[in-house]
Amino acid sequence: MLALWRHRQVLRMLVLRDLQRQYTKFRLGYLWTIIEPLGMAIVLWFVFTLLLGPRQLGLQPYLLFLSIAILPWWWFTKGISQMARVFSKNKAQLRTSILPTELWVLRVLVVSMMEFILSLPVILVAVLITRAWPSWLIILFPVGIALQFLLMYGLGLLISSWAVVVPDLARIVRIVMRALFYLTPILYSITNIPTVVQPYAALNPLVAPLGLYRVAWWPDEHETVAAFTISLTVGVVIMIVGYVTFRRLELRILKES
Amino acid sequence: MARIRIDEHLAEAVRFSDAGVRLPLRKRRGGGGRRQRVRRIAGEVAREEVWMLREATFSVERGQALAVVGHPGSGRDQLLRLAAGTLMPDEGTVVRGQSIVPMIGMGGALERKYTVRQNIYLIGGLLGMLPEQVTERLPAIVETAGIAKILDKYLSDASRAVRGKILWSIAMAVDAPAYAVSGALIVGQPEFKRHCWEVVESSKARGTTFLVTSDKPSHLLRFCDRALLIADGRILADTSVQDALDRLREIPPPKDQVHFVLDDDDDDDDEDLL
Repeated sequence: MLALWRHRQVLRMLVLRDLQRQYTKFRLGYLWTIIEPLGMAIVLWFVFTLLLGPRQLGLQPYLLFLSIAILPWWWFTKGISQMARVFSKNKAQLRTSILPTELWVLRVLVVSMMEFILSLPVILVAVLITRAWPSWLIILFPVGIALQFLLMYGLGLLISSWAVVVPDLARIVRIVMRALFYLTPILYSITNIPTVVQPYAALNPLVAPLGLYRVAWWPDEHETVAAFTISLTVGVVIMIVGYVTFRRLELRILKES
Repeated sequence: MARIRIDEHLAEAVRFSDAGVRLPLRKRRGGGGRRQRVRRIAGEVAREEVWMLREATFSVERGQALAVVGHPGSGRDQLLRLAAGTLMPDEGTVVRGQSIVPMIGMGGALERKYTVRQNIYLIGGLLGMLPEQVTERLPAIVETAGIAKILDKYLSDASRAVRGKILWSIAMAVDAPAYAVSGALIVGQPEFKRHCWEVVESSKARGTTFLVTSDKPSHLLRFCDRALLIADGRILADTSVQDALDRLREIPPPKDQVHFVLDDDDDDDDEDLL
């Protein structure tokens, strides 16, 4: 951790370069960061409210309910699948670098987080459209970001180092992500599903940050404290396992570089 | 993080104690016919690890220039990587008293889609320079490599020779207390070579430590004070450069080049750039 802090300026430079490259690659540049999740939110909103009719799913206003979860989900999938490939993509740089090995994982994570933060205006747009103003609990929103960051860091350390041993993992992650989209309370809230199943659904570590994001609009309706606690515990376990695994596999990572 | 830790109380630049490292070797399983074809489709490969270096025990004094003499594939590059900390030993220990900058396969780290200037910041960062230090030394790097005209052009415009010069200039601009150099101590055309000699020799005179391998015996003879003779992953002798080179001639080069796990997306052709 200390070594990472010492190299924060180099990290900052790498992150800025990556972002710059991403945004100069396409004509619309930064706008894509907004268009992509916004488009997805609108499609899902269309399907689940207009096409499927007045079936009770999620909480109202649904467009806002969706966008608040879609953006962090976007961050999550993009970040994790990029972290899974980080060591096969950056072999040559890893080989000549005296920077800490974790820095590569952190670089990808911070880039994806910056994109997420830059896409937050989407939520603002959804708030303006639906005129649903948040309560003071909005201060928990940044806490949610911090929690998701730590969770993704732990998971990223785990997956990136494992993917070096089992190259197929990067592909497996893609499939798992697709399934996870429906298993995570994005389209619905935890309270929508049968009470018996709720504790199992709460084993998903994403439940906790999503609850923090939504709490300012739906203080009680979205999820129970019990579900939040279960999810948080799973998240912490993942962080510890991720860190330990990474340390043990670090030599393998260097050997394959 | 342990791999880049520096023990400042250590009197030497680096000390190896019984250090050894294995690298994964990928080869196709034996047998022929249909089973083999099925295996190939299934992507099945036998993995085993080969010892590239074993029982390496030696130390390098601060300010010494050590030549690591051996054939390619003898484990000399692994020895340098262990010293610089871009690899960690499977057995034994490697302790560093100084920060050692690796000049091993730097070419692959260049980003073609970045400009030359951005690449200088990138490589400088990889070698442990802070962005502001790079800014400070940028004029010197530009002048040394003679790249004022292409500084803001994309790297893909730069020729191979120019890329080599850029890398060399960045590495020297780090002004590190120690270097581990594979092959690229002296690069470029004759004129630039003279400049290289001037810089590395004055750097050595100021007390910089060097660990060097090269396929050019004359470089080692001129520059190094001491040599390790290495073959088949074992250190055979700790002797003078001349003696090591003489004895190397009697050692046959490894017959089958070990084939390492390197993926196709890797820029292998730049391997000898630095």
